[in-house]
Amino acid sequence: MNPVAIKLSSVALLGAASLAGTAGVITYNAGAVRVSVVEKRQNGEHVHVFVPAIVIPMAMGFIPAKHFHVHDKDTHQWLPILKAVSQELERCPDATLVEVTSPDEHVKISKQGNSLYIDVDDPGETVHVSFPVGVVQTVVNKLEAANTSPPV
Amino acid sequence: MILLAGMVLAMAASVMAAPPDQWIHVRVVSADAKGESVRVNIPMSFAEKILPTICAEKFHEGKVRFDDHFNDVDLRTIFEAIKSTPDNEFVTVKSRDEDVHVAKSGGNLLIKVHERHNYKHGQKVEDGQNVDVKVPLVVVQALLSGKKDELDIMAGIRALSALGNVDLVNVNDGEQTVRVWTDTSSSSE
Repeated sequence: MNPVAIKLSSVALLGAASLAGTAGVITYNAGAVRVSVVEKRQNGEHVHVFVPAIVIPMAMGFIPAKHFHVHDKDTHQWLPILKAVSQELERCPDATLVEVTSPDEHVKISKQGNSLYIDVDDPGETVHVSFPVGVVQTVVNKLEAANTSPPV
Repeated sequence: MILLAGMVLAMAASVMAAPPDQWIHVRVVSADAKGESVRVNIPMSFAEKILPTICAEKFHEGKVRFDDHFNDVDLRTIFEAIKSTPDNEFVTVKSRDEDVHVAKSGGNLLIKVHERHNYKHGQKVEDGQNVDVKVPLVVVQALLSGKKDELDIMAGIRALSALGNVDLVNVNDGEQTVRVWTDTSSSSE
């Protein structure tokens, strides 16, 4: 093989590897939205969704603003609360915030690092949802921008 | 010299470090064999930031309005009277079914209710309820710091935050125990 071609392909491979590595690091730092539902019955459904958090603001940019309009007055009232909760959750130290244990189910809401974890284990299924708190802020900011005046 | 400066800086930083976050904990544990339990751990700073955003029927900007429920009772005058009296037991009720004590002690308002076991034909049918409530007077003062017809919950939380570790409520009714307290730990274990 031509030495120049070998050099070029090595450089291209190195570039691709660095790009993939950088993308991996950025994705890892931004966290991910994970949803996992595992039904406990025989042949039950297993649903696993993994979305890198970095994709969410970009994906939201493609959704027309009209879809973010909140028409319900009660829902509109929740926006400032949701915003304050997401902002404070970012500052909140790691902890188990809520834990409910009963013979039938175990529910746990905890914060670890930049993410919020919701785990539900009941006789029917196991549900795990986790997402970076920043994702909530992104969604709330988008909702706020689309709902500057209260619904009539 | 640099080492000395570093040590001084480190000492200054440790002295000036922000106080640890205060947490409010709620724990409800069922006494039966099922062992149901609910644990809630919330940083007080979190509650301080969230409460003003809640806008409900009688709850605005961290204050709850009680309309004309207390029109005939001047809570502030009663509080000032309690505050200025020395530690004492104000109310003692002893009956066949329960003992109730309301006292002021060490800057706290203490409410203790002790229900006796409920017997029927010599058999215990129901456990008596024990309720211990401790409300620091500075918290009551903060709660009453707003307008006449409102309780300033935000001010109450701020006052509670500044107090450090406080055991607020203990309830044991035989079926479950309820405890509400504040400390600097993020866990309720």
